Amino acid sequence: VVVAAFLLAITVMEVWVFYIPALARVLVPILLLLSSAKFALVAMFYMHLRFDHPWFSYVFVGPLIIAVTLAVSLLWLFGHIGTTGIRGLGPG
Amino acid sequence: MATFEAPAATLPAVHARTEPGGLVAWLTTVDHKRIGILYGVTAFAFFLVAGLEALLIRLQLAQPDGRVLSAATFNALFTMHGTSMVFLAAMPLASAMFNYLVPLLIGARDVAFPRLNAFSYWVFLLGGLFINASWLTGTAPDAGWFGYAPLTEKPFSVGPHSDFWLLGLIFLGTSSIVASLNFLVTILNLRAPGMGLLRMPIFAWNTIVTNVLILLAFPPVTVALVFLLFDRFFGTSFYLPAGGGSPVLWQHLFWIFGHPEVYILILPAMGIVSEVLPTFARKPLFGYAAVVYATALIGFLGFGVWAHHMFAVGMGPIADSAFALTSMLIAIPTGIKIFNWLATLWGGSIRLTTALWFACGFIGMFTIGGLSGIMHASPPVDLQQTDSYFVVAHFHYVLFGGMILGIFAGIYYWFPKATGRLLDERLGRAHFWLLLIGLNLTFFPMHFVGLMGMPRRIYTYAPDLAWTGWNLAITVGAVVQGVAMLVFVANVVRTLRRGAPAGPDPWDGRTLEWGIPSPPPPYNFATIPVVRRRDALWLTKHPDARGPGLDDPRALVVPRGPIHMPAPSWWPLLTALGIAALMTGFLVHPAAAVLGGLLTAAAALRFGTELLVPAGAAPPHDGGGAHDATHIGSTGLDHRKLGVWTFIGSECLFFGTLISTYLVYRGRSLQGPYPRDILNVPLISVSTFVLLMSSLTMVLGVAAIQAGDVRRTRRWLLATAALGCVFLIGQVYEFNHFVHEGLGLTTNLFAATFYVMVGFHGAHVTVGVVWLSTLVYLLGRGRVGPRQEVLVDAAGLYWHFVDVVWIAIFTLVYLIQ
Repeated sequence: VVVAAFLLAITVMEVWVFYIPALARVLVPILLLLSSAKFALVAMFYMHLRFDHPWFSYVFVGPLIIAVTLAVSLLWLFGHIGTTGIRGLGPG
Repeated sequence: MATFEAPAATLPAVHARTEPGGLVAWLTTVDHKRIGILYGVTAFAFFLVAGLEALLIRLQLAQPDGRVLSAATFNALFTMHGTSMVFLAAMPLASAMFNYLVPLLIGARDVAFPRLNAFSYWVFLLGGLFINASWLTGTAPDAGWFGYAPLTEKPFSVGPHSDFWLLGLIFLGTSSIVASLNFLVTILNLRAPGMGLLRMPIFAWNTIVTNVLILLAFPPVTVALVFLLFDRFFGTSFYLPAGGGSPVLWQHLFWIFGHPEVYILILPAMGIVSEVLPTFARKPLFGYAAVVYATALIGFLGFGVWAHHMFAVGMGPIADSAFALTSMLIAIPTGIKIFNWLATLWGGSIRLTTALWFACGFIGMFTIGGLSGIMHASPPVDLQQTDSYFVVAHFHYVLFGGMILGIFAGIYYWFPKATGRLLDERLGRAHFWLLLIGLNLTFFPMHFVGLMGMPRRIYTYAPDLAWTGWNLAITVGAVVQGVAMLVFVANVVRTLRRGAPAGPDPWDGRTLEWGIPSPPPPYNFATIPVVRRRDALWLTKHPDARGPGLDDPRALVVPRGPIHMPAPSWWPLLTALGIAALMTGFLVHPAAAVLGGLLTAAAALRFGTELLVPAGAAPPHDGGGAHDATHIGSTGLDHRKLGVWTFIGSECLFFGTLISTYLVYRGRSLQGPYPRDILNVPLISVSTFVLLMSSLTMVLGVAAIQAGDVRRTRRWLLATAALGCVFLIGQVYEFNHFVHEGLGLTTNLFAATFYVMVGFHGAHVTVGVVWLSTLVYLLGRGRVGPRQEVLVDAAGLYWHFVDVVWIAIFTLVYLIQ
């Protein structure tokens, strides 16, 4: 129940910061941080990774890292992050 | 008598439902050895079909201006040759090895999920028949085995050619993912007592890494195929530039799968060779730990090299350099393995059997293919060679000269174990030398014609290009390979009829399977051995090599009580038939697809609940025992829980790819409505709250079953399912609202990526609701009780995962617009 309260509070914070124009420039990192916190809370406590056998963490966290790395790589290759050295493959 | 064979008087009681006989026995089998044989025979049949397709291609190209085939038939043949060799022959041949050998190598009585194992096979068989059925309708796939968009898109591929291909690959991918999950759980959880990870046979290590790659590489290509399916069936533009899509996305998603696929194919062969060489060199594998780490490193690096297949796209110097670097790095662990194999042979007391000839052939041919592979890692060199026959030479040296020779090494090595008879060595050597000469005559000249400018996939060429002589030699080589295969088939037939008896241990083997009779009994090991050291069996037979302080493993055999054998089942086959009906329905009529989907769901539900019977009733046996305690592996973990976690790991890549595509295409829509015009943050915030609360009720449900309170468990599970339904109603309302606002599936890229991603999440929630409702029903009927709390726990893990996926979607889609 305590975890649920935290999850609820973080969700309220997320929606709150979304509506504050002054935070627009730092909105993305703030939201990513808050979302990651929610993700971690569910994984660690509701999915009991914190207390369970470490293998469960390995088979979840390993693929998760690869998935995030692939996502970042694709965003980079399509020009959404940094530069690949040429123009033209980016959005639009 | 074999080392681990128990005298009849001391054999533990074997509890097994009477096996049906004849054909029914094969249709309902869940025995890993029978399933391994089914995989092997089916895959070899597809291998011969794909080989015949290659021979037809070579007949066409033997002379300039060839007239044997039309251009359209040629396109279909090279597409089906590549598709069949990769998905229907090479991968399933490795699966045959995994199925037959892994439980024997690790001292287990079966795989962790025997019925899922049968399901994987039937899906593979029906998937293979489905793709090949396209020949009968005259609409065989014809866009190449990597199906580059937009060539596979509707405007350029009219008719069901590419539909057969993409539906067939989704079909086969299901089989591969389910099988991989099974092998991983089996190896992690069912090893014999004492067999730590670094005491496992090296083949088991290669199986682990291969199956991790399958679990992580197949979801991205499945998503890529689903996008193609939406483009072709529902008119979206994921890969169509006219609608804002990018064909380059297909290339990325395909090769994110496609390059690990190379290691999925070669690692099993490396594992086989690593078992064969020490046996016939009569010394341990040189640098076992280094080989294990090199295998893991190959698997890891394999995920970071995909774009070297795309240097010609023009990704830019930084991206090209990054992928060139990672591609060259992968040569290091590969080189470690090659040197370790050579060092294993060095100074050994070598017995030159056919299996060893093939293993040595593997090393030589794979090295040649690897060397040309390093050339492709350099972008300037690759640009000269890409799409030429040089590339065809490279991958055939790796996959045919490497993988297939490795598989044959395994067949000659383990055939006596499976059949109790020794393949004829004289015919075996004839097979080896004919194949080695044939493959070199076929594939080596391809380097030359490639460098002379001959592009791959051309169906004919002019006589004045100086390619004629080489092409004739290539065709002669292909025919020699065909003759070699006939020799092999003759050898198998002859051996099955009147081959020399093998006995339990014809090669003085090192691994546990050589300690039991040939062929093994249904339960494999009468008594489960304790493994104190690597190569335990060999040390048992050679006490002089054992060293001080090492016990004789025979003295450490632990009785494990009565043996429970899994009962045969029709449901794996029936569920696979349901999926076949679903796939066929896509080609025939939407109503037929819906009917197929319902059939699949009904069969899957029965499949899932077959073993759950009311308390007090005698349950059918599964997975080595009828009791819940037998689902606990040697690690103390429950197979089912580990299986769900493994599945969730694979799902990370599935949703990761869907979310990545949404982000990549963000801002590329050519027309509105755009996200900021239409997304309703307050509404979805409420939905998100509902889903988060469902995780809380799920946790309370798990706590209730752990406390033994079935009534309270049912109440909380019902509440979770109800909250899931509320979330789904919110999603339906949102979709409906979007459509009324003019945002249909095909309106723009935002719509397509949003509906597919959120729709798949909704489908997962729906599956979760059905799962929980079924549990509530089974709890009420007494078919699930407090002792099976792991079933509720597993459902909970799945539910929470669906929840965390939504946490990511809510932030990345709704809040970061």
